[in-house]
Formats: sequence, C-alpha cells, structure tokens
Amino acid sequence: MENLAKLATSVVKESRIILRDRQALILFFIMPVLFVLILSLALRDAFGDRPGATFAVLAVDEDGGEVGEAVVSAFASSRHFRVERVSRPAPDAAELERAILDGRYKFVILIPAKASEQARRRVEELASNIPPDRLMNRPVELRLLADPTLRVDYLTMVRAGLMGTLRGLEMKLLGKQLEQNLKLLGLPMELPHDLNGTRIFGEVREESLHTGEKHIIPSSVQQNAPAWTLLAMFFLTVPLSVSFIKEREQGSLFRLQTMAVPGWVVLGGKTLPYFIINQIQMASILLVSVYVLPMLGGDRLDIGNAPLALIVLGASASLAAIGFGIAVALFARTAEQATSFSSAVTMIMAALGGILVPLAVMPPLMQHFAMVSPLAWGLNGFLDVFVRGGGVREVLPEALGLLAFSAVCHALAIMRYHARV
Amino acid sequence: MTFIASAPSVNPPCAAPDRAATPAFEAEDLCKTYKGAHKPALDHVTLAIPRGVIFGMLGPNGAGKTTLLSTLCGLLKPSSGQVRVDGRDVRQEAKGIKRVLGVVPQEPAIYPTLTARENLAYFGRMQGLSGDHLETRIRACLEIGDMAAYADEPVGRFSGGFKRRLNLVIGLIHEPQLLILDEPTVAIDPQSRYFIHQRLRELHAAGVTMILSTHVLEEAEQLCQEIAIINQGRIVAQGPLDTLLKSQPGKTIRVRLDCDPPSTLADTLRLIPGVLAVHLIGRELRLATDRPADVVVPMTVAIQASGIAIVSLSFGTATLEQFFLSRTADGGPH
Repeated sequence: MENLAKLATSVVKESRIILRDRQALILFFIMPVLFVLILSLALRDAFGDRPGATFAVLAVDEDGGEVGEAVVSAFASSRHFRVERVSRPAPDAAELERAILDGRYKFVILIPAKASEQARRRVEELASNIPPDRLMNRPVELRLLADPTLRVDYLTMVRAGLMGTLRGLEMKLLGKQLEQNLKLLGLPMELPHDLNGTRIFGEVREESLHTGEKHIIPSSVQQNAPAWTLLAMFFLTVPLSVSFIKEREQGSLFRLQTMAVPGWVVLGGKTLPYFIINQIQMASILLVSVYVLPMLGGDRLDIGNAPLALIVLGASASLAAIGFGIAVALFARTAEQATSFSSAVTMIMAALGGILVPLAVMPPLMQHFAMVSPLAWGLNGFLDVFVRGGGVREVLPEALGLLAFSAVCHALAIMRYHARV
Repeated sequence: MTFIASAPSVNPPCAAPDRAATPAFEAEDLCKTYKGAHKPALDHVTLAIPRGVIFGMLGPNGAGKTTLLSTLCGLLKPSSGQVRVDGRDVRQEAKGIKRVLGVVPQEPAIYPTLTARENLAYFGRMQGLSGDHLETRIRACLEIGDMAAYADEPVGRFSGGFKRRLNLVIGLIHEPQLLILDEPTVAIDPQSRYFIHQRLRELHAAGVTMILSTHVLEEAEQLCQEIAIINQGRIVAQGPLDTLLKSQPGKTIRVRLDCDPPSTLADTLRLIPGVLAVHLIGRELRLATDRPADVVVPMTVAIQASGIAIVSLSFGTATLEQFFLSRTADGGPH
C-alpha cells in the first residue's frame, strides 16, 4: 500500500515535469496530429488508386457468347480498363481471390456458363407474354469481385458501368426478339407485360474480398493514422530515456536508490505518465482522422467496429515503446547517446516496418524482413481493424508480439537497474 | 533554528544504550573489484566510524571514495567482506537501514522544474512521510535551508549555492541519524559554504553521525573530528584528526601576520642559519627548517623589525594537506 502511494506520488511528479515542458508537449501532441493531416492529404492519391489510373480487369467468360462479348467490349472500349479474358476452364474461387489480393487485378467479372443462352430463353418467354411470376428461366446473374482496398467511389462507378452494359444488352435482345416475332408470325406487336419490372439480367453482385492475407494496400489515412501513432509512440522513447538519464546524472535516481523505494516504483512512476501520453496521442490522431480530415477534403478514417481491439493495440504498442525507452535509458551512458541511438533505431524500425512506406509496396524480401520490426506488428494490427474488419482475436498475435517485446525490454532494464545496486 | 522537528519521527528512536557503543558504520575486510578491472577498487578495507562524529573521507580522485560510500549505503555489492550500518548488515536489512540513513549526493539531486516545496514533498513521500508530519518536515527543512521565501519558485532558477542548500535539506527530510555527504560544498561561493558548514555543525551538535567526502582539506580540518584517507582502494590512515596530525612532526613554522609583509622580509629570513626555505602566502609566512629552536627567536626579531605584528605562530604539527600528501604521494592516475 505504501509502495502504491509512492508510485502515485512518482506519477504526479513526472506528470508535473512533463506538463511544465511546453516544447515537449508540442512535440508529443501537435506534431503527430499535423503529420497525419498533412501526409494524409498530400499522399491521398499516392495510395490506393489514382484518378486516370488504368485498372486491370479479368473477365472470366464461361459463357463464350453474346453476354461475355458485350461485357468485354464495353470495358475494353474504356481507356481506364485493361481487360483480360479467360474462358473455360475457369480458374477456381481461391485462385481468383489470390489474383486480386496479389494486386494483379482490381476486379474480376464472372460471367456464368450458358449466360447468353439463358438470357435468350428468358427473352423468348417474356416476348411470349408469359406473366413474370411464371417465367421458367431465372435472370442471368453476373458477379463482380473487387479488391477490398479499392475506393468505394471507383467500385460504385464500375458496378454502374457494368449494369449499364447489361441493360443495353437486355434492350437489344428484347428488341431483336420482338422484331423476329413480328416478321415471322405476322402477329400484331404487343409489348410484354411489365417489361420494366422483369429483367433479363439480375443485379450485379459486388463482392469485396475479406481475407487473412496481410499485405493489402490501405488508403492514405488508413496507412498514415496508425503509422504516425506508432511512430509518435516510439519517438517518445527519446524524451523518456533522456529524462531517465538526466535523473541519473543529476543524482536524483541515486538518491531514490538510497531510499526504501522499490525499483518497480521508480520505473513505474517514470513510465505511467508516458503511457497516458501515448493513449492521448492515439486518441487525438484517430479523432482528427475521423472528424477533421474529411472537413479538409481528405478521406474519413473508418475505424472499424472493434474499439476494444484498438485499445488492446494502443496499450500493447505503448508498453513496447516504453520498454524500449527504459532499456535504452539504462544501457546508454549519456543523454546524447540515448537520443541518437533511440531515434536512429526508431527510424530504422519505422522504415523497415512499413511506417514510412507501406508494406504492400515493398518487394517480397523486404516484406519478409519487415516482420522483425515491432512497428510492423503494430501497423498490421491496426490494418487488421481498419482495412480487414478484424476484432480483438485478429489483433491478438500482433498485440502479444508487442507485449513480449515490452517484457523483454523491461526485464533487461530491471536487471540492469538492480545490477547497479 | 532547529533540526529536529517537534512532530513525531518515523524513524526508530535514537540509538539504544547497548547500541551506543556500536559504530555507526563498519566495514570489515571489504573488497570490490569491478568487472573487467585489473585492480580492486577497494582492497581489504576495514573501517569503523563512531557515532556522533563528522568523519572525513579523503582521497585523491579515483582512490575508491565513491565505491566505498556506495558500498556503505548498500548501493553496491562488495566482492567480499562485510558492511554494517547502525549495527545491521547492510545487505540483509537494507530497507531498515535506508530509513535511518540520509544521503546528500555531490551534484544537486533535485528536479529543476519543480519548486523547492515540491522537491521536498516528493522526496519526503518517497521516504514514507505523509500528512501533517510531512508538512512539518517540509517547513523545518525550508527553515534549515533559509529558503522559505523561495519555497514556491522552480529550483532551476536558484543559484548554485541555493541548489546545494536544497540538496542538503532534502537529505534531512526524514530526520536521519546517519548522513552521508558527498562533496556538499563543491563549486559554491564562500557565503554558501559557510552557511552549509554552520548547518553541519548544528547537525553534529544534535547528535547526527556524518560521513563527509571532500577534496577541500581545509573543510575537513574545520569540520571533522575523525578522518580516513583512502588511496588506491586502501585505507592508508584512519583515526582522530588531532592524533593523526601530531603523529607526523612538522618541519614548518607557520606565522600569521597582521598585514601584508614587504617582499624584502623573505630575503631577510632566508639569511637566518637553519632556515631551508621561505614561502610567503598572503599574510601567512611558512619557514621550512630542521632546527626550529634556533630559528624562532631571530625570525621573531626580524619580523618585528619590519614593523609587523605576529597574530599567531605554530610549529610541531603537520597541516592536513602535508599529512594527506605524505600518505598519498604514490597515488596513481586510477
């Protein structure tokens, strides 16, 4: 109980010291938020898809008839699409998913076998004036598989384009059939009932893929918000370690060691305020990304549906950063040594961990190396939530990795602390 | 000005009668060799510091003073040997010892952005004080440091002397009976040094045992009743200051004069048979001689002839500086 009171006193003391350093406060809170705002806006078009870009589309044409032809020609006529067509044997579902997640295609349009024949039969039925509820042939259904990272406006546009093509084909087929009826049978032309409500082609089903695959391309804000949160957290190791070393150089740490104060109280009193700062940093960056960024014309950050997962990740990343800072402080001999070492290592971990450059655009070898960086674990965790719709279970491996890193750093720091006593 | 507050102390009562005979600090055959070092930092050190004294710990840089002090307050584990503080084993009863021990580090161990009051409150709470008792001790310490008027100013704005005063009183916040002071007056002005010396004398009068590590031999001469000189990890001299100085007969006559002498006086004194050398340091005259009895009378006559009065004259004991230099002459750079 006495030690808990000492811990609380240490936290209050450290908080006072931090709050009286205005420059540090600007560095802690304003800088990361500004970075997220500026970079998310500046790099908005550098992530995901740029206007004027050419999208690779794969048309899996199992039909091989008029419908496939119409769809392929419609997309091929636009300079925004590069269409590839495969017919039978069609690739299986897993192969198609991989083709999209590997970034080879932005869309896959699936045209089912005998689509043209089914469409023709349905037209014949309609032209024979069979009531819609007695039609034997169901509407022809095409599927549209899309990259999960594709911006929603592009996806909507493509879907609308595809539907437009099918509507055009629908009218063409109906017109042909009616003309045929008139010519061959000499029957008076009667419009089939409820033509508008009875479609030859069903609504195109768009399917955004969700998968456990790691390296998908996030949007600018999906990348920048967690990346700068993590970088801000790890950069806090600089003032944390310097503050610890200053305390050692000024002799106050020595003085505390001569008192009946356990090592964990000294370490806890130093680190808890920084943990709180980390959480405020994360909250402010997320709030700015959700509410302020859209006002400035940027994309709104969709924080997913798992706030608990974000809390778990935020806490784990903060503990990892603090552990690193404390270990640096206890092993470095001078404040200058701690500053240069912790900032250099943080920048290397950031570059390697996909903070500065998204993992997805790195070559496979670098993606492999990236996994040694705790910042990569943290970033992957956040992307699990923001991009892949994951929850606590999905971020658990990353969170546990960060906690293990933290535990190792803290253990080294405590051993070093006690080695001096 | 009082050092012991009227409020009840958290510390155990003053040494019990059976404990009074026990030395405040004891080191027995203490050795410490740092990892990778070729020579031991402490080489079979045996030391006993009696209660109620100001004990001077002297030695050249790198002699092992800091290692010895760190071992005495339980911060450093010795390679071999035993340390007892207040009659208790420093490793086994570290917590209890820390409650009666105060440490004043060499550099002001304070938080510059906190006020003097906040610094005292923080270290007081870390010593286990709380509530009214803590408030009383803070007020008492501010009074001891004569800094009550500046209690709510950030200590970063304090002068060097004020920082050292605060450094000292933080060490007193829990009314320790044993105090370790590491160079408490280094790099401060004479007024602040005098102020700290006065506070140490008052603490001594109140029965506090102090170990004073210092490079200022004059300071040790003025304040300490006992000293130890450590050189290359070994204790080369230990005991009451007067006894040690008397143990080494001096060959210097020291004369304090009432005004600055003319430079011709030194030349006159050199002509006296038996005078080996003459040094004039301000108003102090130092004559090296191997025949003091033959020198004293003609020297006094020569000084009076130049119209200068003698304030004081001493012979027969070495100065602490001479004693120190004689015991540390082989001190290496380690």
